[in-house]
Amino acid sequence: MRKRLIVTPERCVNCRSCEVACSFTHAGEANKPAVTRIRVYTFSEERNVPVTCLQCEEAACMTVCPTGALSRNPETLAVDYNEEKCIRCKSCVYACPFGNCHFDAAYLHIAKCDLCGGDPACARFCPSGALVFDTQPPKGEINREDAPKIRMKFTLPVP
Amino acid sequence: MRMIIDGRVVTAEKGRTILEVARENGFDIPSLCYHAGVESWGGCRLCLVEISKTSRPDRSELVVSCIYEAEDGLSIKTASPKVIEARRDVLEMLMARAPESAVVRELGYKYGIIETAYVKRENADKCIMCGICTRVCEVMGPAAITLAGRGGERVVTPPYGEAEDCIGCLACAQSCPTGAIEFSETPDERSIWGRTFKRMRCKLCNAPMLPKEQVNFVANKSGLSPLYFEVCDSCRKKQSAKTFARLVS
Repeated sequence: MRKRLIVTPERCVNCRSCEVACSFTHAGEANKPAVTRIRVYTFSEERNVPVTCLQCEEAACMTVCPTGALSRNPETLAVDYNEEKCIRCKSCVYACPFGNCHFDAAYLHIAKCDLCGGDPACARFCPSGALVFDTQPPKGEINREDAPKIRMKFTLPVP
Repeated sequence: MRMIIDGRVVTAEKGRTILEVARENGFDIPSLCYHAGVESWGGCRLCLVEISKTSRPDRSELVVSCIYEAEDGLSIKTASPKVIEARRDVLEMLMARAPESAVVRELGYKYGIIETAYVKRENADKCIMCGICTRVCEVMGPAAITLAGRGGERVVTPPYGEAEDCIGCLACAQSCPTGAIEFSETPDERSIWGRTFKRMRCKLCNAPMLPKEQVNFVANKSGLSPLYFEVCDSCRKKQSAKTFARLVS
């Protein structure tokens, strides 16, 4: 079975490592929230939802793209973005019903998840198993009481 | 199939152009009218390369690499003296055509041309007639602008000067290699080709979005409902998060 990026919001501890990993992988900068293609939304301590591209089968972004700059990658099945083909009409930004295509004004291109070409950095750096790149969702319960401890791992000590 | 570019053997698929194959393999070929998203037409003549075929290795010719398809056994030189000379000629003419364009000027400097030998065009804009804008508009759908006139009078313009079909997507201006197309964009409006387009606002957060004309055109062309375009991307993302949160709790 093919590997997929499996999101399990119940396991998310809101450490936001995925956002940092994503922006670092795609822009080489960790402190640029505008370039990250994944975002964690927090509703309460236990309700954190990482949202990223769902790589829809019938993708609206792909449908509206006039030049084929958004196309299906046959290997990862992700909807890949080809910056060279893009004419910046921004139709995809507003066509996506989930809001997962956005225009990056700093780099003047569309920012969209491409599963890092088959090894998503967000899943690699997710400590709690909320994001995994696998065929199966992770097994076993996550202990909610450990969440602050896991989060602390990613917090720099204050000098 | 295999080709030799500057002495290095590269493999190429059928149907690809020399320019694409060369760039993929890290060779630097300058170009101004090439855009991967639209059909190539060999307009600017900057991507000239020298080729020779196995059948006549003693004979070489200059071809425009952005429209010349890869052939088996082709031997290609991307920077031979003949190529450099031809490119310098082209650049001198481009520098006379668009003396204000920084992109053209810098390319000229790179090839050792400080000042063009030709008479510079009077009241020149930055346009070099590469036609990326018209091809972009065509592929986008409206085909609202076109190349009109001949010779020195040639201009990019909407038919009869009236941009009736323009949808205000600004793709032409943003794809222009020299930044020759004038436009303005404020949170309320977009202006281009003598027309002003009012931008739609996000239903939820009031953020400025695309003009109504573009939304209607894109929705119509792709068969998606215009309702897709009523909410901005960040509100949509928030909505998705809320929905997922509800689903899992």
